[in-house]
Amino acid sequence: MSNLNINMKNLRRALLSWDTFLLVIILLEVLIFGLINPKFWRIGLLLNSIDDFLIIGVVALSMTFVIITGGIDISAGSMIGLSSVVTGLLWQVYGMNIWLAAFFAILSGILCGMLNGFLVSYLDIQAMVVTLGTSFLFSGIALVLMRFAGVSAYEGISGFPQSFKSLMSGHIIPGLPNSIFILIILVLISLVLLSKSKYGRYVILTGINQNAAIYSGINTRIIKMSAYMLVGMSSAFSGILLSSYLNSSRSDFGAETTLSIITAVVLGGTLITGGKGSVIGTLLATFVLGFMKFGLQMARVPTQYTNIPTGVLLIIASLIGALSGNSYFRSRLKLVFNRPKKSVNNFEKKL
Amino acid sequence: MNILKSVIYKREATVSFFLIGIFILVGIVNPDFLTLTSIDLISQNSILYIFLATGMTFVLLTGNIDVSVGGILGLCGAIIATLVRDGANPIFSLLLVLLLGSLFGLINGLGVAIAGIPSIIMTLGTLGILRGMIVVYTGGKWVENLPDYFKNPSSQMLFDALNVYMLITLLIIIPLQIYISKSKRGRYFSAVGDNYNGAVLVGIPVKKITILSFVLSGLFAALAGSVYASQIGFIMNSTGVGIEMIAIASCVLGGVSLSGGIGSVAGASLGAVIMTTITSALVYLKVDASWNNAISGMLLITIVVSDVLIHRYTAERAKKIRLAAHVENMEIGQ
Amino acid sequence: MKKSILFVLVVSLVFSVAVFANGAGDSGKDAADIEVVFIPKLTGNMFFESANVGAQDIAAKVGFTCTYDGSPNASVADQVQIINSAVARGVDAISISSLTPDGLNDALKKAQDNGIKVVTWDSDVDPMYRELYVNQGTPEILGKLLVDMAADQMTDSQKASAKFAFFYSSPTVTDQNAWVEYAKVYIGENYPGWELLTTEYGEQDAQKSFQIGQSILDTYSDLDAILCPDSTALPGMAEAARRANLTKDDIIITGFATPSSMREYLKDNTIEAFGLWDCGLQGAMGAYLAYWLALGNTFSVGDSIDIPGIGSVKVESNDIQGYKNAPKDTGIVLLPERVVFTTANVDDYNF
Repeated sequence: MSNLNINMKNLRRALLSWDTFLLVIILLEVLIFGLINPKFWRIGLLLNSIDDFLIIGVVALSMTFVIITGGIDISAGSMIGLSSVVTGLLWQVYGMNIWLAAFFAILSGILCGMLNGFLVSYLDIQAMVVTLGTSFLFSGIALVLMRFAGVSAYEGISGFPQSFKSLMSGHIIPGLPNSIFILIILVLISLVLLSKSKYGRYVILTGINQNAAIYSGINTRIIKMSAYMLVGMSSAFSGILLSSYLNSSRSDFGAETTLSIITAVVLGGTLITGGKGSVIGTLLATFVLGFMKFGLQMARVPTQYTNIPTGVLLIIASLIGALSGNSYFRSRLKLVFNRPKKSVNNFEKKL
Repeated sequence: MNILKSVIYKREATVSFFLIGIFILVGIVNPDFLTLTSIDLISQNSILYIFLATGMTFVLLTGNIDVSVGGILGLCGAIIATLVRDGANPIFSLLLVLLLGSLFGLINGLGVAIAGIPSIIMTLGTLGILRGMIVVYTGGKWVENLPDYFKNPSSQMLFDALNVYMLITLLIIIPLQIYISKSKRGRYFSAVGDNYNGAVLVGIPVKKITILSFVLSGLFAALAGSVYASQIGFIMNSTGVGIEMIAIASCVLGGVSLSGGIGSVAGASLGAVIMTTITSALVYLKVDASWNNAISGMLLITIVVSDVLIHRYTAERAKKIRLAAHVENMEIGQ
Repeated sequence: MKKSILFVLVVSLVFSVAVFANGAGDSGKDAADIEVVFIPKLTGNMFFESANVGAQDIAAKVGFTCTYDGSPNASVADQVQIINSAVARGVDAISISSLTPDGLNDALKKAQDNGIKVVTWDSDVDPMYRELYVNQGTPEILGKLLVDMAADQMTDSQKASAKFAFFYSSPTVTDQNAWVEYAKVYIGENYPGWELLTTEYGEQDAQKSFQIGQSILDTYSDLDAILCPDSTALPGMAEAARRANLTKDDIIITGFATPSSMREYLKDNTIEAFGLWDCGLQGAMGAYLAYWLALGNTFSVGDSIDIPGIGSVKVESNDIQGYKNAPKDTGIVLLPERVVFTTANVDDYNF
């Protein structure tokens, strides 16, 4: 019994310290990049840079849920493009009010998520392949929708009303970009969902051991499907944000973001095998990656090279985590570090 | 009858049926698809995906994942292309590049096995580094104008029927398949993925096997990169982007489980052939190409869903038969 | 132990950044202090790399700083981020080939509001957000060139009723689709007997382009001509034709690609001619004009501007590209000529 308590304390300490570690990296980034180019320290610029990695953060927050359940969703990028197309088409071709169109876009995202969730959770198919297939499917549908509506896919739709554009470009509080608020609100919602609600607990339990969860009476199928629906919803929201930010709708929006989203989630301390994850970690990791890219650009490193320092950062950060005895990294290797002989001795000692 | 049953239950059999099924379906729409020309072009184009899927199988069997294969393919392809373009001996360049690929794989393996970094993070990190290195190495330019003696072997035919590269591929894959499924050492990979702690207790050198799996993955990615350079004739900076997903999909189609322990090289190779077939099938079907993505997605989903459903059905039936037999035995026993 | 690891982390990060960084820029109005950011649609593409070579050459000759910054993905969001970083860094001018006709408007407006001069090349934006556009040819000119190159190789009977196909990158790429759209109109007017058998996409992936090229040749064996206005699709198609032992007498393959990638196919008779324009020249013009504007120069439509090493170029009105109501102080500079490459002249070019 006392073993269990110690493990829980270790768990909490481990997760907590990883978040702190990420925070330290962010502060280091701000320090170093600022030293290289003092303009980096301008608060206005720093905050505005969030606009550019907001869409990754928004989806990464809900992707955390999916990965905790032991799955993955690589169709998120395609869902972003699809929702952008739905919003644009409904507004321009069918004359719908832009906010109503956005609502339908979110609905489409939820439907896509439902498809993903159904295939993964009810039919029990490997998530990576299913979502790879649906990523082609959704991007294909986005393209076909454009064609059917007679809009040229290469020009896209543009010219959204000012109220829609101000979603991203407006300032609810003068001086602070809206993206900060969007992020804060979403983080709070995700935090409450994951850590404070029964739903969150079920998600974690499903990820730790699906069979045990089923035996405890949790409907793991619905839980898993709902996680994919969450990703669908937030991808759709991301698509709307992107359409507002770029004042246009294109079917290829978001196509390149999938890898970054996954990176943000796993860097944030969520185990890819499921069962453990942190919303705050994902948020911090998003900032780590986002500031890294912005900082490198401010340091005049051409964007085509920026994935080298980012990759190095990823590996070194994980290395530090592993070497400093963080149980996040040791969880799969428990037994390796306690050779069978030794543990037998311990057992005898206890006896 | 039993032999038939044991064959059908194997994932490789269902994959083959799907492959044949696709051929038949498309062949109905366009009989040109069933000619030697098209089968030939599909098999030749699938070679590099077969290599990728084979390497990936080793990693997946041990319960890990390697998303850096696209980067290794691109960088090694760029290196061998540059060396050959500038006049180096092709055999020497190939060996060098294979060594490099193994080295990158070694780095991945060390990070995962020794440092304990989760394989997805480690390989995401190396992917980023490799993609950036390609740009640095090539200076942003394509590597092109490769000499004919390097490109020609890719179209050599043996007895006018079998492509030489395809022959080499079979010569590599078949022994590997036997090794992985029959030999003691080969089965270590699935053992590690199936039950890590159990493998440790049984005395399997899990760290070495894990490292070896990544080295093999890197080696095959480098081989695939060389095949790419030889077949296609030029390497761009973006060569290999997104190809890791295709490799993983091929493996899963072929019955390799992403959680480790289950799978075979043969299945993964067949999966790779299916992925390549889809690309060509879309042209032969003569559909409006805007539908390509949607159709590929639906095909992929359909195949995977059918595969799972078939296996679930056969597993259920097998269970029922066993249960019925058991009950019968009990009654007889009484 | 942790401290020394942190130290290693800091050092490696600084090292990997320092290796690629060029130090913080500084904006003065001296010729040598002017920084132009040269942004391609995407990096790693021969066409844009050649343009950059031209830009760097003229920057070295004249003495200003030309920074090449682009994303390896063809992503609008990435281009916006690069523009934002350039604005944050305080560059003097932006010279960009845009992925979208209007997605960059807000970002470019922010740039202009900060006193940064904006010039576009290859692919334009709304004239309100840039001052000059270096144009290689309107869609009409290029669509016509594409068709004419094929028609010039046809016999009279073929010209009456040829079967042809388009093969290029994707339905979402702006330029190629604009050229193809016009090519279709041109064919409808001048070669009404032609029949379009198929349009296929190679997604700018060399292996896919090769395989789809082979599949096209096998499926549509009665094709007379294949038009490939994409720098990856054309070599892929040519290689497929060569592999199938087809020469220029069996099938007409033509399109736009760089001479270095197509030279061998000209020499072994797989194709007879293909086209492009001098991208190095275009890049040089794009970079120089941005610098010239940053120096504080102004112009009106009809003026001539002297570009060292190139000559005098005339500023045309925006009308030639079909813009109505463009601001009075903006204009278009046309590239002198397109080039059709054949065995006779291909060796004169080295890009």
